[in-house]
Amino acid sequence: MSKVKKHSIKNDFSMLALLIIPVAVAVNFVGGQLAVILKLPCYLDAIGTVFGAILCGPWVGATIGLLTNVVTGIANPITFAFAPTSIALGFVTGLLSEKKMFSNIGKIIISLIIMAFVSIIVSAPIIVLVYGGVTGGGPSVVTAMLMATGTNIWASVIGSDGLFNALDRIIAFIITYFIIKVIPDRTLIKFSCGEYYVKES
Amino acid sequence: MWIEKFQIKKTNKIAALYPITKLWLTAFYILGTLIVSTIRIHKLPLLLLPWFCSLFIFASCSGIRKKFFKSIKKAAFVAIIIFLVQAFIVPGGEVLFRFGILRICSTGLITGTNLSLLILNIAGIFVWLFQTTEYKEISRALEDNGLNYKACFLFLSTMQMIELLGRNSRIILNAQKARGVETEGNVLIRAKAFIPSMVPLVLGAIISSEDRVLTLESKGFDVNCKKTHILNVEKTGNEKWAICIGIGILLFLLIGRIVLWIQ
Repeated sequence: MSKVKKHSIKNDFSMLALLIIPVAVAVNFVGGQLAVILKLPCYLDAIGTVFGAILCGPWVGATIGLLTNVVTGIANPITFAFAPTSIALGFVTGLLSEKKMFSNIGKIIISLIIMAFVSIIVSAPIIVLVYGGVTGGGPSVVTAMLMATGTNIWASVIGSDGLFNALDRIIAFIITYFIIKVIPDRTLIKFSCGEYYVKES
Repeated sequence: MWIEKFQIKKTNKIAALYPITKLWLTAFYILGTLIVSTIRIHKLPLLLLPWFCSLFIFASCSGIRKKFFKSIKKAAFVAIIIFLVQAFIVPGGEVLFRFGILRICSTGLITGTNLSLLILNIAGIFVWLFQTTEYKEISRALEDNGLNYKACFLFLSTMQMIELLGRNSRIILNAQKARGVETEGNVLIRAKAFIPSMVPLVLGAIISSEDRVLTLESKGFDVNCKKTHILNVEKTGNEKWAICIGIGILLFLLIGRIVLWIQ
């Protein structure tokens, strides 16, 4: 018997989802810190957003994105401006998960491209219009170099930030994949999109 | 009483203002910054510099001079980078200065000064807000003003979770190091160390969330009734004055701006 599952905001925000949001935000925060400790050349601060959105759907994903930027903004107000990027990433990842777009390798590749694309489309105007192309992070060096060679500011930002974004999303997804693989089925089914990832026996 | 221990007492009159009043003052300052940025001297919004100095004095009066200085460093670093990149790299307009391969063009100088000073000012007022107000106070005040208690719980719980997971991540990283996972070397070796640190951390947090669901449900978190609080945030009585002064300064700036336009 096949049953089409209906998703709603109320269903998505279950008690477990309410408790997973802080965990996901903290994972974003700690992921970013670990990337700095291990001196890795990327941010890795979206793992929690991707993970939360895949398990709990778009609205929870968007909330995780918003809360992440509010919390990081308390320590460094520069990151406030990037809240729309995180919200969009969480929302789109959740939507893709609802549409079962992480079920096979082909769909996963398409989903990753869509996630990277949305991130760039939302973050490029913020980087160019609010910060004039550079934000002091890793991609800024590449952007500045591209701009120095006479490349248009939009092309420089989309080129450098796009590369880092795509890399970040792929790593975030791989880690999320490993985590979902080891979560017991009895826990997975408690999440609104969890049943799509239950291991078949 | 034991509950007194949880209350936050502040001696400084500005720092002790009600959190919502401080949110209003932050909004006024941002509006003021936008107005001041439209006043140009040689096409540059140089008045934003004394405007920022006034914020520094305001922060000093709030008793957070050292904390403010420490926290504004990150934003100042970004602002300087933006200024340098815009001034030296972006071409356009007349060349104002040339030294070897370095040259400053007018377009880049104007955009760089504008963006960096705006960022410094807006980041500065947020630094003031969060250095004078604890996150517990903000969420409590927002809840009193109609924000859903679940949203406040999310915010508070997130702050606690960051501390907890931060501590756990260091423990896991050390444990993995002890069992032979290499955390130093080339990028690939360091990247490999990331996964065995991250997966146990997240998994542990999820499993413990299940237990916390039971705890919260057993304590009636979902029940629609009046909630009790340990922390109370009260108005000091100076709030009206603070808002009046804020609006006064904003009006002064607005009228000044209009007068300059007419002239």
